[in-house]
Order: sequence, then C-alpha cells, then structure tokens
Amino acid sequence: MNITEAFQENVIIVSLDGRFDANTSDAVEQFLRVRISESKFQFVLDMANVPYISSAGLRVILAVVKELRRDNKGDLRIANLQKTVAKVFEISGLNNVLGIFKNPDSAIQSFTD
Amino acid sequence: MKKTLEFPADTASLSKIGDLIVEACRSVGFNEEEIGDIQLSVDEACTNTIIHGLGQDPDRNFRLDILSETGEIEIVIYERGSPFDTLEVKQPNSDAPLEERSVGGLGIYFIMNLMDEVEYRTDDEGTKIFRMLKRKRQDEVRTK
Ligand SMILES: Nc1ncnc2c1ncn2[C@@H]1O[C@H](COP(=O)(O)OP(=O)(O)O)[C@@H](O)[C@H]1O
Ligand SMILES: [Mg+2]
Repeated sequence: MNITEAFQENVIIVSLDGRFDANTSDAVEQFLRVRISESKFQFVLDMANVPYISSAGLRVILAVVKELRRDNKGDLRIANLQKTVAKVFEISGLNNVLGIFKNPDSAIQSFTD
Repeated sequence: MKKTLEFPADTASLSKIGDLIVEACRSVGFNEEEIGDIQLSVDEACTNTIIHGLGQDPDRNFRLDILSETGEIEIVIYERGSPFDTLEVKQPNSDAPLEERSVGGLGIYFIMNLMDEVEYRTDDEGTKIFRMLKRKRQDEVRTK
C-alpha cells in the first residue's frame, strides 16, 4: 500500500494505492492518526487506485470517522470508489453514514458548503 | 481442478491468496461482480484464520483447498488454531447512527451473504474446517 498526501486549504487529500486489507489497514490508520494528532481534522480519502477493500479497511475508516466527528471536529470523506469496492461499502451499510463522493473535488468542496 | 496450498499465518499471505482466487474464478467463468464477492469472502475467512485462529504466528500454517468445477467454486480452509467461539452473525444495522456502529464483526456477515454454502466444523483431530461454495447463476450457465 502506497500512501501519499496533498493539501488544499484545510483539507488533506490522502491517496491510497493498493489493496486495503488486514495487511495494510494498520499503515493507513497510523498515517491518519498522526495527522489527527497534529490537529488536522478534514480528510478526503482518494481510493481511485484501491482495487480491493475488506472489513479490515472498513474498520479503519469507521474508527477514524467516529473520532473525527466527535465534538464536530471534522470528517473523513471518501472519493473515487471502484465498482467492486463500492459494493463492499454498500453491503456493509456504511454508505448510509459516510460521506462518499464521485471525485476528490466534490469531496473537498463539501467541507466548505 | 483442485489446488491444495499452504500459507503461513501472516496477513502478507492475503494478496497472494486473492490473486489465486481471482485466477480460479476466471477459469470457472464467474463475472466481475461474482469474482469480487468470492474474493472478499475468502479473504475474510483467511483473515480470521490468520488473526483469530492462529494469532498471526508466522511459524504456523493453514491449508487452503481451491476446487474449481463447471459452474462453481469451492474453497476449504483447514486450520489447527484456537476454536471458534460463537461465530454468530451480527447483522449490521444499516439504520443505526454512526456512533452505534461497531468497528468489527463484518467478516462473517459478508461471507454468509455472498456465498451460496457456508459450513464450519471441527474434525476428530481438532482441525477446524471452514468450507464455502458459490455457483454461477443458472441462466449464465445455460447460455454457455
Ligand atoms: N478462524 C477462526 N477462529 C477462531 N475464531 C474465529 C474464526 N473466525 C471467526 N472467529 C470469531 O468470529 C468473530 C467474528 O468474525 P468476523 O465477523 O470476521 O469479525 P471480526 O474478525 O472483525 O471480529 C471473531 O471476532 C472471532 O471471535
Ligand atoms: Mg474478521
């Protein structure tokens, strides 16, 4: 899993490249938790290059979103889901409570709306 | 065709297993959505074996059988780790607010929903056996 980041105003766009499974989920969680500890609270997760996600990946996303929304600190919003990955979000029921966007721009925009 | 493989209880095994499953599914002729369902189910079951069963001890192994036949695939995991506790399926509540969602317990739910047959048992020697099977939809088989 390759993790890169870009900054736009107060939003950090985190781009993942690779499988988001039990072998890589810890790295993603650590990366996000470091930024949160630096008081960064607005994230867009660009998943264009994630061909696969398991419940281990969903667990990290849910844990981080819970943390960020506590006291209305911020949020992590998701963009660019591949078709099979989008299905995993759907059957988990998490698509009802997460901010899922077509592309990073609309996800970034949503923070200023 | 039957393949029997051994893997160490290391999450680094998962991507290799995923590749092998996708390859076997393609040979059966599953469509991309079905392949995604099967890959997820096998990955969740193997993740559980590695983490819950074998405690991520890379010196311990588990066995994976992949049986691909006309119109169906069967996957069996053999593992001699700690016994299943309950393995009850927690139904995720899609209407619950975020704070009430639990961060675990989706793996078995996915498997039960995506595969046609799921079975787990322990044999006389204490080996845990987790078996799952998925068939291609009938209308697809017939048009071949
Ligand atoms: N191979 C296994 N060996 C022992 N216990 C297992 C195994 N697979 C599943 N379990 C038990 O079933 C529970 C539910 O599994 P799962 O739905 O994948 O959720 P999670 O792995 O997130 O806890 C696990 O927490 C574990 O207690
Ligand atoms: Mg699991």
